[in-house]
Amino acid sequence: MSDDAETDGGTAIEVTPEDGNLVDRLVAAKDGERFVAVAAFVGVFAMPFVLIDVLGVFDTLIGLSLGGFVGLPTLILSFGIVAVGYNLLLGYTGLLSFGHAALFGSAAYAAGIFSNNVVASPLLAVVVGIAVATLLSWPIGFLSIRRSGVYFAVLTLTFGQMLYFYAFGPGSWLTNGDDGYTPFDVAGGPDLLGFLAMDASITTLFRDITGLTLTLTDGLDMTVGYMLAGLVGVLAIVVAHRIIKSPYGLILKAIGQNEQRVAFVGLNVFRYKLMAFILSGVFAGAGGALYALSKAGLTVHPDATLYWVVSGDFVIITAVGGVGSLAGPLIGAVVFEYIRLVVQGITVPGTEFQIGSLWRLLLGVVFVVVVTLFPDGIYGGLSSLGDRLVERFGAATDADTDDRRPVEEVEETGGDD
Amino acid sequence: MSQNIDRRDVLKGAGAAGIAGLAGCVGGESGGDAEYPAIGNYPVEGDEVVLGFNVPQSGPYASEGNDELKAYNLAVEHLNNGGGWVDMWDDLSAGGILDKTVISVEGDTATTPATAEESATQMIRNDGAIMITGGVSSSVAISQQKLCQQERVQFMSCLTHSNATQGADCVRYGQREMHNAFMTGKALAPILVEEFGEDLNFYSMYADYTWGTSNRNSMKRFLEDEGWTQTDEAPTPLGESDFSPYMQDVPREETDVLLLIHFGADAANSIPAAFDAGLDEDMEIVVPLYDTIAANSASDDIGGVYGTVDWNWQLGEEDEFAQAFVDAYREAEGGVPSYAARLAYSATMRYAAAVERAETFYPPEVIKQLEGHEYDNTGIGEAVSRGCDHQSQRDVFVVQGREPSEQEDGALLSLVGTTDKETAGYACDAGPAANCELGDYGEDS
Repeated sequence: MSDDAETDGGTAIEVTPEDGNLVDRLVAAKDGERFVAVAAFVGVFAMPFVLIDVLGVFDTLIGLSLGGFVGLPTLILSFGIVAVGYNLLLGYTGLLSFGHAALFGSAAYAAGIFSNNVVASPLLAVVVGIAVATLLSWPIGFLSIRRSGVYFAVLTLTFGQMLYFYAFGPGSWLTNGDDGYTPFDVAGGPDLLGFLAMDASITTLFRDITGLTLTLTDGLDMTVGYMLAGLVGVLAIVVAHRIIKSPYGLILKAIGQNEQRVAFVGLNVFRYKLMAFILSGVFAGAGGALYALSKAGLTVHPDATLYWVVSGDFVIITAVGGVGSLAGPLIGAVVFEYIRLVVQGITVPGTEFQIGSLWRLLLGVVFVVVVTLFPDGIYGGLSSLGDRLVERFGAATDADTDDRRPVEEVEETGGDD
Repeated sequence: MSQNIDRRDVLKGAGAAGIAGLAGCVGGESGGDAEYPAIGNYPVEGDEVVLGFNVPQSGPYASEGNDELKAYNLAVEHLNNGGGWVDMWDDLSAGGILDKTVISVEGDTATTPATAEESATQMIRNDGAIMITGGVSSSVAISQQKLCQQERVQFMSCLTHSNATQGADCVRYGQREMHNAFMTGKALAPILVEEFGEDLNFYSMYADYTWGTSNRNSMKRFLEDEGWTQTDEAPTPLGESDFSPYMQDVPREETDVLLLIHFGADAANSIPAAFDAGLDEDMEIVVPLYDTIAANSASDDIGGVYGTVDWNWQLGEEDEFAQAFVDAYREAEGGVPSYAARLAYSATMRYAAAVERAETFYPPEVIKQLEGHEYDNTGIGEAVSRGCDHQSQRDVFVVQGREPSEQEDGALLSLVGTTDKETAGYACDAGPAANCELGDYGEDS
């Protein structure tokens, strides 16, 4: 909870010190929406380059295939977007849902089924995915939020598993069951707005338009599909940021910290919790639809979308990256997918030993280490490191540094414990 | 991963009509100089070539997957250093494929299409695999070959028996040597009728995915053609551990024959469950596709049970290639190979030989070498990997489980008949082939 702004009667105020050095000004700007949008944009569109090209250097240097591959960043984004929304629920409102696979998976299937039966439009598919996940999150949330703690988690888990079993068996007329559903099953793959092929990349577009050959590295040569996912990702981050910084977000945060107090003030806690659940459903829908898009012509399978393990993955992604921060879930998604898809394939040099299915063990170790060392996740660890650097190099006054203490410390003075 | 740089150019440039220079391009590949346009992971640079072995190392088919992996490693060993079929095939010689050392990457499909697809993606894009092979489940094979068609990477199916694999879901970049459910039905139905009698009722219990449903359909079709009647059918989820409730539902009075369409751990659980429920006293049990590894774990309960297999190591007595493989496997691993192992070994060798014949790794040329190729050197007798649907037309072996007292030295099954490929097979416009549209080679012409 390090990115709190100063509050005044429920309105968020941005601190903009006119004096102070560059470090202070950056710190002050850190929570502004424009800064967040620019940072998200840079982060999202630099990610393929870092993952594929920069890490790919190790391939040639020491023969260890640490580089990502084309397609990995899209998967990271679709899971990352779900986690950003999930974090509104877990990190701010304090609700541990174990059923987000249901929302993610339903959106993926809905987008896929829509694409094959109505129109194979990526944009409309995203809209349909969001709509279905939102509509679904309302009843699931409505019924689950009536119970708290373990019972809430188990109820959401139950809803998720019900959908999983439906998709697997009885619903296979719709979902194609265990064989998996092929979304966007159109010749040549789906296209954006009727003319931009989703798998066309910058170089091919450049060549089609100018007739000249442009040479880019794999990481820089983004596809239309990735750019779409990237824009949805940036939008998701900005929306999440706005929610967090709004009075509404502050109430969610307050519920996460002390539900009774919020009820005492006269607010309808149930309604806020339900809205947090539905909001997270919107994000899960966008993520699910993008996932289906990344699987165009391939397979969406219940095991990878609706299964309870996927719900657990969202929890792990959010917790590893940093609960209660905007960037945390995205960092978590990068770490998680990197371990799952890249580290998994690493063969230890000089031996024939491949990590393979041991990746979950490795992920467990990473999870334990991160949670033990940085209870606020990787982002929490990074940001406290950043704070120390700011203290060291910034010329700021004490008031500023005070403000950067965790909310609990500031607000829980004279608490009821 | 420099091989990848202009892959997409080729993919999407189809409209740009880059015909020039393709027409007269035949001949050997020298020192990595590409004579064909880049496509998929072609050209193969450096002095190594990567093959991707994507097998189930977890999930209900893990035992079969592990046996495949042993055979794959054996194949790599032979391709690089000689031995086994490499010494016997004219097309092959030690020293790798086209003088490039063969190295391999492994993946775990976890017996689920989603995971298989992801590990195959990684092999193709990260490791630069020129060919992917492996898999036990048909849904896994289908998802992988869809990906391979998109990525322009050859996929050699290993153990997949669903009609859809080289039927409705067939792709140009896929090849299957194993027989399919249709051929099983054609081969098995007449033998069952002859053995058990006419006008019988059968009950079908099947794993609820493409392989199970296509076996249910094909067995139903051919048994009903013979005058039998299906009373009912029951789907079971893949990976089911307790089959006893399903066995209780089988109507004992009216059922004469029970078809158990299960494989791997499913079969190892369901066959004993049928015996435990005493169904063997009231009806005959038939396993249309025998899994020799599962038969091993259910060896007390397979006496008299009919089914088909891709191959059995006992065929080594009459086929020198089968024998060479059994010997090499026995020496390397101890014990006898399952047919999953033979399929894996054969898939690798057939691909390597096709590359050698094409004298290039350029996928369209390799595919053309496989299309219509007649061969008799994979331990299953004479076969042809047909051009119209990429389904090998080959003999089907009908087997029967031995009573526990007659099982010796790992010989659990007896060969009761071989249905030749003309009888078991089907024309290009019939059966599963009628639904097959292979898709394109991906060439720019």
